[in-house]
Amino acid sequence: MELSVEYIRIAAYLGAGISVGLGAITTGIGSGIIAGEGAYGVMKQPQANDQLFRTMLIGQAAAQTAGIFALVISMLLIYGGFDIAEGGWYRAAALLSAGLAMGIGALGPSLGAGYSGGEACKSVARMPKHGNAIMGNMLIGQALSQTSAIFALVVSLLLLYSVPNQPAGLAIGKILLKSISLIGAGMVIGIGTIGPGAGIGYVAGKANDMIGRFPKERSMIMRTMFLGAAVSESTAIYSLVVAFLLIFAV
Amino acid sequence: MAKKKSPILKIFILFILIETALVFVSNGFNKELQVGFDEGKFVFRNIQSHYDLQDRITEEFQIDEHYRQTGETPVIYGSNKTYEFFKNIFGKVSAIGTFQLLRMLLIVDIMLLFLAFLIKKKLLKRPSQPQILFEMIYSTLEQFVIETLGKDKVNFTPYIVTLFLFIWVSNMVGMIPIPGFMEPTRNLNVPLGLGVFVVAIVHITAFKVKGAWGHLQNYLNPVKNPLFLLDIIGELSKVVSISFRLFGNVLGGAIIILVVSSLVSYVVFPVGLNLFFGMFVGTIQAFVFTMLALTYIGVEISE
Amino acid sequence: MDNITLAQGIVKAAALLGAGMCMGMGALGPGIGEGFVAGKACEGIARSPENASLITRTMLVGQAVSESTGIYSLVIALLLIFST
Repeated sequence: MELSVEYIRIAAYLGAGISVGLGAITTGIGSGIIAGEGAYGVMKQPQANDQLFRTMLIGQAAAQTAGIFALVISMLLIYGGFDIAEGGWYRAAALLSAGLAMGIGALGPSLGAGYSGGEACKSVARMPKHGNAIMGNMLIGQALSQTSAIFALVVSLLLLYSVPNQPAGLAIGKILLKSISLIGAGMVIGIGTIGPGAGIGYVAGKANDMIGRFPKERSMIMRTMFLGAAVSESTAIYSLVVAFLLIFAV
Repeated sequence: MAKKKSPILKIFILFILIETALVFVSNGFNKELQVGFDEGKFVFRNIQSHYDLQDRITEEFQIDEHYRQTGETPVIYGSNKTYEFFKNIFGKVSAIGTFQLLRMLLIVDIMLLFLAFLIKKKLLKRPSQPQILFEMIYSTLEQFVIETLGKDKVNFTPYIVTLFLFIWVSNMVGMIPIPGFMEPTRNLNVPLGLGVFVVAIVHITAFKVKGAWGHLQNYLNPVKNPLFLLDIIGELSKVVSISFRLFGNVLGGAIIILVVSSLVSYVVFPVGLNLFFGMFVGTIQAFVFTMLALTYIGVEISE
Repeated sequence: MDNITLAQGIVKAAALLGAGMCMGMGALGPGIGEGFVAGKACEGIARSPENASLITRTMLVGQAVSESTGIYSLVIALLLIFST
């Protein structure tokens, strides 16, 4: 198959657009949820204004982590200098797939982190006295739900940097096979992290809520949160395994 | 009265200072970052080009394959003689990945033994700071064991504490910025071995508690459990999920640190990223691994 | 495997893409479901901490059952990668 460098550029630019476009959807929704709950909380407890404002800002910043990952990947795709003709179809497929992986992979974690932050704001408004404990738990919960986004980022970086150039003189069937398998790797980690990301966010949100209500049971609640989040993450790990197999073993 | 700084804060600040200095000295100035225009396009990357990075990532992943393909002589930090000795035993060049892994495992073991002796030598009535830390770890985990397994199974505590300390120190040892240092848990064989061991211990305990047939009929008796085949697959997937969770998190951190450091020329970010992935993620993953092992045992013996 | 015809390549490529889609979508449902279980367990433990170990056990068993569809997807994905 003839290949000119334009095809690789097309793939890179498409991937960049998909990455930041999809990644921005739920990042926006998540930050919006947090801000909404924060504003509602200020209405309920005007004297806890400072604390609520701080929780809201930190929560929003943490909820946007996955969106920032998507931005980084799309900047790398545009300016990283991957567009050289020796890359071949492998490189084109890998670039498109990197964008897909990070873009879809940012959907779940940001939604989860948004829900968690929203519950934290609600909880702080109810119990301003325990604001620091709630905020600490919110940060840990959001970091847990961003773990799946980190998996997507890792696969995306591997697709950018560890796919070799296409060797000369390959049969067309082989080229097709390898390229499609790279796209499959991006899809599997992207779609596979939506569920765990959102689910862990739900766990963290409930934990924030309950720490506000029953601050005495804090260590027990946090332990259950860790355990539940770790088990919910296992399907994201199966996706990571399949993605590694598709990149390295095919 | 001036407020005293807490010792943890002191350690934290000291760590950041030392790490920054070491990172600067080791690779700060020998990489050049190119920000600007190249053939009419805006670029930011290392002048040595990202194929350097690509080589390094292949090296991280398939180190034996890397040296077999390129035919270079492997770079061994430290003594070459031990590697020669090791190679003579196994008889091939491709043993370098195993060699590095074994060396790091040895270092972790020596660190743990050293800590143990150091603390044992100075056991005090009014405990010192490290003693408080380790007593806290031990008593917390012991409390968890009692809550999950009951008072009569408290003899599981040493296993659980050893598991936690080993994984914890292994995850943190990669933060030391010495060339050739890596987390042993970054190699799939270590988490997989730990995971297989955990599931084996779960079943051995279940055999002891419920008797051979009492346990095996969950998996072999189609009348009692019609989905027994899926349960066997489920047991295997326990090994996969518990070990790949640790492996994926540690390896992910390593790859992100590698790529980001090469983009920003090894200057600013790696310290913060090391703190996040080494201390925060490393501690959480060690805790999660131990708690999962504990609850697997608890679920199996309590039915 | 380097010298395969176009038809064989398309078949294998379809199997690999199918494996990716299978595991990806198969991970969606269990992830959300297990998160829901764990969230409710947090709530339950906060409300009645004396039953903590009972609730934790129920949570783990429930999550193991909800995860079984994820495991089916993993099995099918591995079959598609290695045995077609």
